[in-house]
Amino acid sequence: MEHREILRVGRVRKAFGGISAVDDCSLSVSPQSVTGLIGPNGAGKSTLFNLVAGLYQPDEGEIWFNETRIDGRPPFEIVHLGLTKTWQIPHELRNMTVLENLVLAAKHNAGEHLLNLFVRPGQVHRDEKMWRARAREILKLTQLDALANEHAKGLSGGQKKLLELARALMTDPTLVLLDEPVAGVNPTLAANLMDLIEKLRQAGRTFFLIEHDMNVVMNRCDRVIVMHQGRTIADGTPASVKANPLVIDSYLGG
Amino acid sequence: MAIPSESDSSTGTRVPHRLWELLHFTPRARRKLVRGALVTIIFLAFNGVLAVLFGVTILNYTIAGLSVSSIVIVAAIGLTLVYGMRGFANFAYGDIMSLGAYVALLVNINGLSLIWGAILSFVVLALVGILLELIVFSRLEGRGAVPPIVASVGVGLIIQNGIRTIATTTPWIYRVEAIQEIPIVPGLGVHPIRHILTPAVGLLFVLVTHILLTYTNLGKAMRATADNFELAKATGIDTKRVTYATWAVSCAFASTAGILLGLYGLLKPTMGFEVLLLIFAAVIVGGIGSPWGAVLGGLVIGLSQEMSAPVFAWLAGPDVIGLVNASAYKVAIPFIVMIAVLILRPWGIAGRAPAFTGRVFFIERIAKALGRRRKPTGPLEDESGG
Amino acid sequence: MRTRAEAERLAIDTGILVNLGFYVSISIIFAILALGFNLQWGYTGLFNAGIAGFFLIGAYTAAIAITPPTPPSTGYPGHLGGFQLPLAVGALLAMAMSGLAAALVALPTVRLRADYLAIATLAFAEVVRTVAINLEPVTAGTIGIVGIPHILNFSGPNAAFLNTATDVGVGAAILVGLFLGLHFIVESPWGRVLRAVREDEEATMAVGKNTFRYKLQVFAIGGALMGLAGWLFALTLLYIEPSGSFAPAITFSVWVMVIVGGAGNLRGAIAGAFVIYGLEWLSVQLKDAAPDFLKDSIPYIRLMIVGVLLIILIIYRPQGILREKKRVLR
Repeated sequence: MEHREILRVGRVRKAFGGISAVDDCSLSVSPQSVTGLIGPNGAGKSTLFNLVAGLYQPDEGEIWFNETRIDGRPPFEIVHLGLTKTWQIPHELRNMTVLENLVLAAKHNAGEHLLNLFVRPGQVHRDEKMWRARAREILKLTQLDALANEHAKGLSGGQKKLLELARALMTDPTLVLLDEPVAGVNPTLAANLMDLIEKLRQAGRTFFLIEHDMNVVMNRCDRVIVMHQGRTIADGTPASVKANPLVIDSYLGG
Repeated sequence: MAIPSESDSSTGTRVPHRLWELLHFTPRARRKLVRGALVTIIFLAFNGVLAVLFGVTILNYTIAGLSVSSIVIVAAIGLTLVYGMRGFANFAYGDIMSLGAYVALLVNINGLSLIWGAILSFVVLALVGILLELIVFSRLEGRGAVPPIVASVGVGLIIQNGIRTIATTTPWIYRVEAIQEIPIVPGLGVHPIRHILTPAVGLLFVLVTHILLTYTNLGKAMRATADNFELAKATGIDTKRVTYATWAVSCAFASTAGILLGLYGLLKPTMGFEVLLLIFAAVIVGGIGSPWGAVLGGLVIGLSQEMSAPVFAWLAGPDVIGLVNASAYKVAIPFIVMIAVLILRPWGIAGRAPAFTGRVFFIERIAKALGRRRKPTGPLEDESGG
Repeated sequence: MRTRAEAERLAIDTGILVNLGFYVSISIIFAILALGFNLQWGYTGLFNAGIAGFFLIGAYTAAIAITPPTPPSTGYPGHLGGFQLPLAVGALLAMAMSGLAAALVALPTVRLRADYLAIATLAFAEVVRTVAINLEPVTAGTIGIVGIPHILNFSGPNAAFLNTATDVGVGAAILVGLFLGLHFIVESPWGRVLRAVREDEEATMAVGKNTFRYKLQVFAIGGALMGLAGWLFALTLLYIEPSGSFAPAITFSVWVMVIVGGAGNLRGAIAGAFVIYGLEWLSVQLKDAAPDFLKDSIPYIRLMIVGVLLIILIIYRPQGILREKKRVLR
């Protein structure tokens, strides 16, 4: 079994009421890469992401992250192991501020444990301060710092997408699953976002993203995996995938 | 590209012209029939064993269980129809049952036969159902599960206390001829009303429901709407009309169940609320939204409650633990069954496991520990409407 | 010394004061119940329909722990008790039992949908009430436990007034303490996770929070608060019985209080309690002024009004009369 890869999905199957959304799907993601996941609608991409992130449990198959088996584990455990997923439709916490949205994502905040509030108030205070500072750093990185005290419901669509990414970064992830990170975002912002991702990749993180925007896929991904009808049909460099007849068929055939 | 399913023939899209089409069961229906027959045989055998071990009088409890089940079934069908369509638990349902019983009482004490009372109550309650949707619940569409529950509690308070104000809290009885039990063997008898009429009415309502939902246009529209509201609307079904119709049927069924309950004992303002949780238990055990589930759930709940009574009676013995007021505890059994179902299979017997089962870690870990592999689900096991 | 007129006036004054004191005491008890429910539903989105059950467990635990031995007599079945433990111990036991019960109920149910949770908790409360009514050796059945001692024992002409004053004093102190404590924890990072769970549980799970653990904690704490309310109730009323005081109507009344005051609003929950119980207390006071044919129906009419309130509020003003404070993290 290959363990060089940071993520390994082995023959995973997930059916809903008789229809297999993901069917005998296997793929892997290399560390410190920007890997794309494409495929026609209904191919099972988002379902796969949910399976990896622990929101669904596979009916069959295995999922390995950094040589640790993660299928069957609850989402919070998987985040703590270093794997975070963003949502295709942003799940911002509307009635909390942008800053609160971020600070919430901090993985080890003493104040989130009830007992600590009473027995270690000093640590609670210090952690909170530290995480707020870190959140501000990340907000600056994603150019949301001006909106720190805005309620998340007031953000535009593109800003909400940025918030998703910022929140994911707050969990200090080794691998980030991005579900359509630039969909509905204006081209300049999209370019900035992808630049940021490239910068973060060079700092050591891995990105696995679902995208329909072929520009992004072709120009920004080292490797592209193609899904169709719940399974992987192609896997390689963007150029090779683009020329692959199976891939072309799948998009035309639907 | 959808995987072809075998559900088409059993959704009753054509009224069968020839008898053999009626009997032309799909593999899925055949499976369910076999399972049902098996369970029935086991149940009868179980009772046979009990009769042999403890004497025939033990069957009194089974008979009582079937009787209680009938009342619960009629009520549960009514409850599950609205629950499945609107997605909310109607906490006023018990009080609506009480209202039905009291409306019939009103007719009855003024000299008319209870049959007339039942008919009038049926119609009046159907109208009440329509009014409730019109005035209260239509305004809470899309607000989630909690607001309609709160509103239904309000409705229940109004109905129950309205009854208290008008009819007082003194118990009433229906004016029917006093009928004796028909003895079968010494110690074992059937009461014509409680043990014959009630189950008969129950069976009648189950058949009526089946015919309504399977063969009438309204029924098919109701099933489609309950299954997928948006899709039903998109295919041209008048979902408003279907909604009102469902409420009308639901409350009308409640009235009948309430009258049967009144025949079982006394009429008090709390009579319906006292059985509300039983009805909920039956609906949950059977699967929300499924009338056949309501039947199964009703049987499970009614039988488990009544057939646990002898166990408690035994516990009351001084040589066991001398439990005081033992028979009162039998009401706890349906709740234990319901909690067990909520833990192990929250979608009930006839329900469909939802796509996102919300990570039932507890049970999955136990199942894994027991070495049970999760089978992939087979072709569409659509249970709605049976 | 005192003239007869003065003595009479004093008696009337203290009579009114005792009555008012009773109103305040009971309002405080409801306020504590409302704070507990508010924590569960207002902050975390857990719709508890079994408030009366946890209230009952606390009251009976306290009564059993605190009451001096009841000599057997005709017509009274007796109950488990006679331990005569100190009041504070009784309070801790009440909170512990209710909290434990809440944790046990929460284990299988908090991961379920809101309506399932409501049904399961309502069923729990009814089962608990059935047990209280029927388990005579422990709870003295339908008669209930009597002879619960006052907080402080006064005697003499002003005993009633002084007892009431003590009840109010102790209750108020507890309420203030609870308010401050709850305010502290809901404004903390822990409280922030609660609000996130209420808002979007999936998203909160996806940022690495074990939402199940938080829901369990909140449910248990809420239950413990309801148990504390039960302890106070036993000490105020001096007897407890299962049928009226712990009926589902109590749960529904608390719902109204929290909805009126605004979900997620601590001050609102307290205000809601005083207002809604005020209605009940007023209806009792005005009973004598009502025309004869209505007299007996006053309690039922009041409940119908509660029902109408519930419907109107939930349709038109679910956020309550008082609004939740807008929070800004700086």
